[in-house]
Amino acid sequence: MALIQIAEPGQSTTAHQHRLAVGIDLGTTNSLVASVRSGDVSTLPDPDGQHLLPSVVHYGENGVAVGFEAQQFSLTDPLNTIVSVKRFMGRGLKDIETEDTHYSYDFAETDSAVPRIRTRTGDVSAVEVSAEILKTLKRRAVETLGDELNGAVITVPAYFDDAQRQATKDAAKLAGIKVLRLLNEPTAAAVAYGLDTGNEGVIAVFDLGGGTFDISILRLNKGVFEVLATGGDSSLGGDDFDYAIAQWMIMQADIANADDAAVRRTIMQQARHAKEALAEAESVEINIDVEDCHWQGTLDRSKLKELLTPLVKKTLLSCRRALRDAGVDKEEIKEVIMVGGSTRTLLVREMVSEFFECELLTSIDPDKVVAAGAALQADVLVGNKPDDEMLLLDVIPLSLGIETMGGLVEKIIYRNTAIPTAKAQDFTTYKDGQTAMAVHVLQGERELVSDSRSLARFELRGFPPQVAGAARIRVTFQVDADGLLIVSAREENSGVEASIDVKPSYGLSDSEIEHMLRESIDHAEDDMHSRSLREQQVEADRVLEALDSALATDGDQLLSDAEKSTIMAARQALVEVKDESDIEQIKQTIKQLETACDDYVARRMNSNIKNAMQGHSIEEYASGSEAEES
Amino acid sequence: MSKDILNSNFFELFDLPVSYDVDLLQLQQRYMELQKQVHPDKFANGSDQEKRQSMQHTSWINEAQTTLKDPVLRASYLIKLKGMDFSLENETTMDAAFLMSQLEMREKMEHVKQQDDPLVALDSIEKEIKDANDQMMQGFAESYQADKFDDAREWIRKLQFLKKAKNEVNTLIADVEDELMH
Repeated sequence: MALIQIAEPGQSTTAHQHRLAVGIDLGTTNSLVASVRSGDVSTLPDPDGQHLLPSVVHYGENGVAVGFEAQQFSLTDPLNTIVSVKRFMGRGLKDIETEDTHYSYDFAETDSAVPRIRTRTGDVSAVEVSAEILKTLKRRAVETLGDELNGAVITVPAYFDDAQRQATKDAAKLAGIKVLRLLNEPTAAAVAYGLDTGNEGVIAVFDLGGGTFDISILRLNKGVFEVLATGGDSSLGGDDFDYAIAQWMIMQADIANADDAAVRRTIMQQARHAKEALAEAESVEINIDVEDCHWQGTLDRSKLKELLTPLVKKTLLSCRRALRDAGVDKEEIKEVIMVGGSTRTLLVREMVSEFFECELLTSIDPDKVVAAGAALQADVLVGNKPDDEMLLLDVIPLSLGIETMGGLVEKIIYRNTAIPTAKAQDFTTYKDGQTAMAVHVLQGERELVSDSRSLARFELRGFPPQVAGAARIRVTFQVDADGLLIVSAREENSGVEASIDVKPSYGLSDSEIEHMLRESIDHAEDDMHSRSLREQQVEADRVLEALDSALATDGDQLLSDAEKSTIMAARQALVEVKDESDIEQIKQTIKQLETACDDYVARRMNSNIKNAMQGHSIEEYASGSEAEES
Repeated sequence: MSKDILNSNFFELFDLPVSYDVDLLQLQQRYMELQKQVHPDKFANGSDQEKRQSMQHTSWINEAQTTLKDPVLRASYLIKLKGMDFSLENETTMDAAFLMSQLEMREKMEHVKQQDDPLVALDSIEKEIKDANDQMMQGFAESYQADKFDDAREWIRKLQFLKKAKNEVNTLIADVEDELMH
């Protein structure tokens, strides 16, 4: 006899399938993947038991290698071994020239806005290199967890701009990973610690990784993690510590051919080892033996302090600004969470603790805490914890603006505004009969266009010709929960939606991504087709599942019989086509179902809001009367 | 069919009385409650349509909260609710005495870096701004309460001046701190 299944109180009575989701920390130096299994979060090791995957990709004669395997080639084949690729994400050639003083790759000149690194197997962009790292982590996750993933949360530095975030999302797309959310690294760390300790109040997260620095100020309250302000430097990290030490070594040892890629890598590695050794020892012996240069010397803690202090001071300046932006006094900070491998450097801990005058939290491995936090959020987002109260409210790190007359930037959305956020701006025409206009979008805090980061140029076309100054073009800047900008425009008098051509300043265009996707699937037309089909079918299932659960909750209350039968007819149409192989038809039918549900979805959103507010007054009343009775 | 939340006024949205006095703690609590209903994270598995709706509603709630939290934005929002066209960018006060006091404050700011202790000097300017700000907020609240909307608008113009002055002081403090750290 079959046993009757009884659901746990508070859990849904329908058998709930556990979905597989992971958190991925795509780091400058190392990357990790973590997952929640039987309620516990842990990072996933490779078959050799290694959790960290060095973010190194080697393009060899016999194919691509990632991680430790690639790292072996770092010295012998530096031009084909890409390290610290995160520093090049969403960057242009000009930025890279300043960045590349550390690495020296061979960059190819291309027509695309995206710089490409020359390797023996062809030119590769930072997005493609990152996709290799992500593919390796995905494979590890699928092998460990035993099935395909439903999605992943990928972390990015909080201070990443729009182009850097978009590049990260593109890399995930190339790797065939469904991104549930891009999550800011310090927020992820706060989740891992916050859920661990159950602490409440205002905290700071100091996150110094291999190539990026973030500071976030958060308020923790009943499962809500509210970021009040964030700041940082997306090109400052442990690599810069190594570089400072390496420069000193080159001076001391009087190395002549320091421009050679192999010599430079060797010195950088020695610098890193010396830095790491000084976390334990008072001083460390250095032996340099490159080509015709032999030098022996000592690096002690006080010299290290002298070399690194200017860099650590830079991080503290960002801390000050973040505190000011958050409207929080230093004294209000209860704890500082330390994240990122570079917080192992003693000088960093000393200076941060002196600055904040409070306890530093270091109990969770600073290398793993971000991936763990991402995995916890992925588990919630994918729907494994329907009753969970956890909510992460984040902000946009850098102001968004547009170019105005005279090369000035007019800010439209200010930094540290809670996201998602939308702001509309009205424009008009300056010529009779004008039917198109260009908008240049910039990011950053500076006044001049030349000092700001160019994100994209938009061309709005197709609005009806009118006399100069009569048209009213409303451009809406929407920033989504991933911190990504979406621009839409319409001419208000005629109601015409303007079409938008986007020319990303440093990003890949959709067609470039498409092209790479095709390349990566070895030109096989069928594979491409079956992949797109599978994606559409998954999307169809998702839409149906979301609709069914909505209908079960409030379909009867919010819909008339006539409305319901319209929706059910559209639903049935999708059920019938979804397992066929016509991609376009599935797409269309999903669209039709969505149109049929338009009002219903809006009504649900409204009714959720109303219920929350009404529930509030009832609760107040209830708790009030209880108090009177007792 | 229920009224669309995206067209409701910000006070209604948070179930708060339409008034210049806002209970900020209550605002914060209700903001959180609404976020728990509509935030995009709640629809990570939903249809694209739900995601879009959720993004629009959350953006709206965020704007509502920002507006009601900030004393200047809140004041000009109240004036707009009265059906008056009011845009912070296009208005400026003509009160000569007030403008004079602002000029004096600017001069102090310009010379602050030559002071023995610039941070102390900046702290005192900051205090001065805060006191003036409190007085203007009080002035607005009274005028608004008494339906004297022209007076109320004048208070907002002054509040806007002080907000800009406060931002400049913050920038100066940041500059001075930067210099001290180097």
